[in-house]
Amino acid sequence: MPKLTIDDMEIEVEAGTSVLQACERLGIEIPRFCYHDRLSVPANCRMCLVEMEKSPKPIASCAMPASEGMVIHTDSELTRNARRGVMEFLLINHPLDCPICDQGGECDLQDQAMAYGFDHSRFQENKRAVTEKYLGPLIKTFMTRCIHCTRCVRFADEIAGVPEMGATGRGEHMEIGTYIEQAITSEMSGNMIDICPVGALTSKPYQFHARPWELKRVETIDVLDAVGSNVRVDARGGEVMRVLPRLHEDVNEEWISDKTRFAYDGLKRRRLDRPYVRGADGKLKQATWSEAFAALAARLNGVPGDRIAAIAGDLVDVEAVVALKDLMAALGSPHTDCRQDGAAIGGGPRAGYLFNTSIAGIEDADAVLLVGANPRHEATLINARIRKTWLASDARAPLPVAQIGEAVDLTFRTQHLGTGPETLQAVADGAHPFFQVLKDAERPMIVVGMGALARPDGAAVLATARRLAESVGAIGDDWCGFNVLHAAAGRVGALDAGFLPGPGGRDVAGILNGAREGALDLVWLFGADELDMSAFGAPGEGPVVVYQGHHGDRGAARADIILPGAAYTEKAATYVSLEGRVQQARQAVFPPGEAREDWKILRALSEPLGHRLPYDTLAQLRARMVDLNPVFGRINTLVPVDWGAFGADGAMDAAPFVGPVANYYMTDPISRASETMARCVDEILGGQRAAAE
Amino acid sequence: MSFINRTARSLLLSELVSGMALTFKTMFKPKVTLNYPYEKGPLSPRFRGEHALRRYANGEERCIACKLCEAICPAQAITIEAEARDDGSRRTTRYDIDMTKCIYCGFCQEACPVDAIVEGPNFEFASETREELYYNKDKLLANGDRWESQIAQNIASDAPYR
Amino acid sequence: MTLWADIVWPTVVIVATIMLIVMPLLGAVAYLTYAERKIMGAMQLRQGPMTVGPFGLLQPMADGVKMMAKEVIIPSGANRVVFLIAPMITFFLSLVAWAVIPFDEGWVLADINVGILYLFAISSLGVYGIVMAGWASNSRYAFLGGLRSAAQMVSYEVSIGFVIITVLLCVGSLNLSDVVLAQQTVWFVVPLFPMFVVFFVSALAETNRAPFDLPEGESEIVGGFMVEYSAMTYALFFLGEYANMILMSGMITILFLGGWLPPVDVAPLNWIPGIVWFAAKVAGCLFIFIWVRATFPRYRYDQLMRLGWKVFLPFSLFWVVLTAGVLVAFDWLPD
Repeated sequence: MPKLTIDDMEIEVEAGTSVLQACERLGIEIPRFCYHDRLSVPANCRMCLVEMEKSPKPIASCAMPASEGMVIHTDSELTRNARRGVMEFLLINHPLDCPICDQGGECDLQDQAMAYGFDHSRFQENKRAVTEKYLGPLIKTFMTRCIHCTRCVRFADEIAGVPEMGATGRGEHMEIGTYIEQAITSEMSGNMIDICPVGALTSKPYQFHARPWELKRVETIDVLDAVGSNVRVDARGGEVMRVLPRLHEDVNEEWISDKTRFAYDGLKRRRLDRPYVRGADGKLKQATWSEAFAALAARLNGVPGDRIAAIAGDLVDVEAVVALKDLMAALGSPHTDCRQDGAAIGGGPRAGYLFNTSIAGIEDADAVLLVGANPRHEATLINARIRKTWLASDARAPLPVAQIGEAVDLTFRTQHLGTGPETLQAVADGAHPFFQVLKDAERPMIVVGMGALARPDGAAVLATARRLAESVGAIGDDWCGFNVLHAAAGRVGALDAGFLPGPGGRDVAGILNGAREGALDLVWLFGADELDMSAFGAPGEGPVVVYQGHHGDRGAARADIILPGAAYTEKAATYVSLEGRVQQARQAVFPPGEAREDWKILRALSEPLGHRLPYDTLAQLRARMVDLNPVFGRINTLVPVDWGAFGADGAMDAAPFVGPVANYYMTDPISRASETMARCVDEILGGQRAAAE
Repeated sequence: MSFINRTARSLLLSELVSGMALTFKTMFKPKVTLNYPYEKGPLSPRFRGEHALRRYANGEERCIACKLCEAICPAQAITIEAEARDDGSRRTTRYDIDMTKCIYCGFCQEACPVDAIVEGPNFEFASETREELYYNKDKLLANGDRWESQIAQNIASDAPYR
Repeated sequence: MTLWADIVWPTVVIVATIMLIVMPLLGAVAYLTYAERKIMGAMQLRQGPMTVGPFGLLQPMADGVKMMAKEVIIPSGANRVVFLIAPMITFFLSLVAWAVIPFDEGWVLADINVGILYLFAISSLGVYGIVMAGWASNSRYAFLGGLRSAAQMVSYEVSIGFVIITVLLCVGSLNLSDVVLAQQTVWFVVPLFPMFVVFFVSALAETNRAPFDLPEGESEIVGGFMVEYSAMTYALFFLGEYANMILMSGMITILFLGGWLPPVDVAPLNWIPGIVWFAAKVAGCLFIFIWVRATFPRYRYDQLMRLGWKVFLPFSLFWVVLTAGVLVAFDWLPD
């Protein structure tokens, strides 16, 4: 524990702490460009120079480990001169085009030039200019502005695990790029925009659209995957302009995935902005709310409860699910389900459908088995955590990670054990050598993905995985190594709310069969688009389909009555992340047109249907939620879960596990409506560079 | 003595007489009135009149949509929307000034890094309807084209003092 | 035909004479407004009316046309009859006084022996128009203006009365022509100069001119008794006020400046007709009226009262006694 003196203040820090970190602990701000908490330390920008006594030169504080008896001055004449000199050098080749730079107003270089810089330059020669690089549809480059901090290179190498970025040339001729011009193939490349301290890497979809000072910032929760990333939605005049990550060490650290960051333009396209009712001629017609309610009441008139069914989709919030559950109960329908992919989870103990290890807990794991899961596409930030754990482990004996299912590149070294249930069976029976790896591990993790659970034999797979976890000692007092990897943000919340088939109720497959067989008169699709819509037949033939949601996607296309709802940026709502963390989203903008918050629609609708729901305010509804499941009252905490039996014994198919995410960039109605995501599909997956470039 | 002096002065109405003498003399001084529509006073090069958006000599509009004028405007009279133009350059798609809100403080032209938005020498832009005072980008660019020679001259003559 | 010779012809002659007096008088009033604006403008470094006609000479016509074209607005709470009569009284009284004014030797409509008393009576009646207007308008501002006007006119008539008595002591007649002819050796302005000043200042107060325009008081009671008047009713007040100014100037001319007489009765001067001398002296007085307005700020109400009662009244009383004493002592009393 070295003790050092910084600006006449003594501090004792752990060995290995850098001088910069010691300064930060004292609340002293050291300017820096290349240093980043979560990246390696290259010490190449020299901005963090401080004076150290008995040293002939100022030292780079980010790279200098604190040692006993050091005396550091962060505000001395020498330090100030050093900073001023470094800033002058940095600005020699920086174009100073702040007025046309999107980083303007939130630029580290701008701020630090104001705070620590020199007010003029002595540089008379021509400035360097670098041609722009193509980095795909998400990142716009202005490489002339680059100050070669290499944060992006290190991010690609270390966090994203796609070593595609690098520097070519030396000295003045150094350029950052991708060697071969190509789109960055990472699912978290957008974070490079955030960590770039200048405007060299900026967001392409947001390009030139707004200035940071005009934006209204709303701290909310992302729903485009099940991680529950904490995000900040920046809106201007009723329009979401961009989505940025928000720091939450236990969830997303300070990263978010590209879909989270860039799919927001889907919120402006293909929106349902007013109610529709299918007329006698088979065409959908615009209607007022009261007309839509009247039409719905007419269709429901005299229909017995067991001929009504409801399916909740992937992006639904808990408030609306509870309201729908109450409404369905009032109508007497047991046919409710929230697992539109048919995953065999829920109903049992909460441990049976949560990511029990917790996201932060991944860092403690010492062996990982992925069963039918592709975390890179299903939950990008969980993959980043596993990679972080893998990177932090001893290079000679790295974290053992094994996959059962499709062999996919997860950006770290994995062992592919097999493709299907027979391999899982082998591991569970102890016949496979990886069983021993898990058994030897102190804190093994078994991650079961939807690829393994959303199949007819899902319950058997789940039971096998549970048995495996129990037999390798993954379940302990302070460690629960059994995890379910969700891909849908609304799923855990709906399961917690108990939006599952009631006694004698049909599950999703049963509802679809019932629709085919004519056993149902009305099916309520609440944001449910990932279904086989052919089950409902052509309009006018099968059951009446009510679609409540925010996008004109597959469900709305078949619907007979459309009730326009609000997307996640447009309502105050509760979501439960895959690790069981209850988080509340806030309203950033208003829903378009006539669209309303979903629970309000259901509450308003309940009256003409003759079953008035007993809550008028959000507070009352939330009280009802807590009544239903006390978990909903525990905001942003992980409630300990009890272990119990879940899954069902049975025979497993031989069919290999197939991941639920076929196309990372288009998994839900919002991202399917997004132009940016479509461009990603073309350019990143398809390798076609946009013609305009 | 002073009492006599004071009494004599007030009895002889000296203050009234000197006051009247002053107005009488003033009567023959040259008049300061300008016969406005026919005569006009001189304008400073720094005069802050009607706004204009300027162009470069090659016809390219100067404004780069940095939004600094919008940010500094104390009356919040300026509204800008921007996106990349087809050639990739940063341009406004909308540049509105509500001239009824504007207080003619000149902060916008001070903030402009490219001398695009300027307050020109024109002060005769009264209109009969409010709507005519909601200037859009076309109107501002047209103003710039119309007053360019004078604006350029004014900027040049003020340049040594900046 | 006695009908023709005794009734019709004299009537025609009298009406023609009245017209001969009133028409030029109204013209003079019109151009007095023009002169006031021009002189005030000059004294304030402005140009005054410039656009209507050459040098704005047609401005009074334009104003007249405008006044006639406008709508007369009668406030709903006003007493309609009194409201309409008030400006008529003011205008009527300002014209009726001219009957006894001698413009030249023998040029007088009614050469009555009590001419000066008649004038005094008529100018005292002038307050009624203003008080009626102030009351009938049913407006606080107008009422305040009317009250002030009444108080002010009553106060200053007292000292005007004493000044006239002083002059009468020196003349020995109430006939205005006699007053003028009594000044053939020396104008009364010379021996009675302090009384001339007192009379002039009182005349300002009597006609509600600056600096004694408290009944109007634009900056405090927004126009005083005239605040509710518009169009021709307003124009009548305006005409009456300016005709009163001219009348007062005429009285000053007759009482102190030798009426139609030339300054010295020598060759080139006495060739000029008396009416020209009279008009020139009236014009000079009017110029001073305007000049004073351009020079002095308005009096406060208490200052106005103090000046009337505590300065002018004792002062003029003293001068009456002094003049009478001197006349008696040196046996200068007129016949």
